[in-house]
Amino acid sequence: MTALYRPGRTPLHRLPAGPKALGFAVVVLAVSLLPTRWEASVAALAVAAATYVFLGPGLRELVAQTYGLRWILLIVFAGQLIFSGLMPAATNTARVGAAILLATLVMLTTRVTDLLAALERGLQPLRRLGVDPQRASLLFCTVLTTVPVLGRLALEVREAQRARGGRGVRIFAMTFTVVALKHADQLGEALAARGVD
Amino acid sequence: MAVPRLATNDLARVAVFAALIAVLGLPGAVNLFGAVPVTAQSLGVMLAGALLGPWLGALSISVLLVLVALGMPLLAGGRGGLGVFVGPSAGYLLGWILGAVVVGLLVRALGRRTWASVLVAMVLGGIVAIYAVGIPVQSAVTRLPLSATLLQSLVFLPGDLLKAALATAVTMRLARAYPRAFRTTVPAGAARQSGHPER
Repeated sequence: MTALYRPGRTPLHRLPAGPKALGFAVVVLAVSLLPTRWEASVAALAVAAATYVFLGPGLRELVAQTYGLRWILLIVFAGQLIFSGLMPAATNTARVGAAILLATLVMLTTRVTDLLAALERGLQPLRRLGVDPQRASLLFCTVLTTVPVLGRLALEVREAQRARGGRGVRIFAMTFTVVALKHADQLGEALAARGVD
Repeated sequence: MAVPRLATNDLARVAVFAALIAVLGLPGAVNLFGAVPVTAQSLGVMLAGALLGPWLGALSISVLLVLVALGMPLLAGGRGGLGVFVGPSAGYLLGWILGAVVVGLLVRALGRRTWASVLVAMVLGGIVAIYAVGIPVQSAVTRLPLSATLLQSLVFLPGDLLKAALATAVTMRLARAYPRAFRTTVPAGAARQSGHPER
């Protein structure tokens, strides 16, 4: 499991994580709310491309990310083409693509640890409502460390099942759920033993 | 309005279920129904609602979605990042939260769990609730009329019905063979903290 982060020293890399994420959220939302006009979509695509090339990870990453979106964009385009015709289909697909490309820039230029730290700071005002930012951080980090463990457990369950000639999805789902729940019990005990109350 | 403190064993379960949903999206980890590209992730959503209850289930999914928004590739096909939340499937992801709440409330409301009643809970929460958020958002994102979007989304209905049946089977079996799976007891600390004046 690797994050989308690409190391670099571009202007976008140097922006602090919190303000960058918020700023991009606003820009991306604005792009998503653009009217269905081809001029608007072309402008959005131009802004996205220019940000990649001049402020971010560059043309090559722009091409790679666009290629990565090919299936989503194709599905959107095909659905539109059937129901609304060529021009709206192209316009709407371009707008969706531009919004996704812009949003991806945050992940490409920011480490997940920096974003998590920014999130913990961002949660501080919620203290009044009883939210504990440190506990929230613990929860997020626990999920990230648990994903590889559960991935391994899932493979083990499947291999054990295969060794006995079993193939059923139902048996797998049942066994994997019980294994995951047992892991949760152990995890809870381990956290308690380390002084997390 | 104070948020009750999350007990450590609940924290562990919430984290593990978020991770479980992520693992159900890994390619090769679970290959549901042969070659059909159906992600098993909404199966995890239904199970989270049924086993953790409505609120912890919703918390578990929210935590997963926050991590996805932060750029972790935890969705099916290694998708992740803020972009997912402006794409056509954004509404379905947000619908997961509502779906877990609906499944959790319905399964909890059932006095005696029967196959049919649990299946109804899974279909209402795991399909109807998720589509109810997902389809309007998809229609808004792609500017395709609601009726056309609805028609387009029917492609996923057979797979989702199979997942609802699977979630029902797992829930029914666990209720009989591993009742500890269901989080029903309220930890003493949480009850004391919420301090109902009438008691």
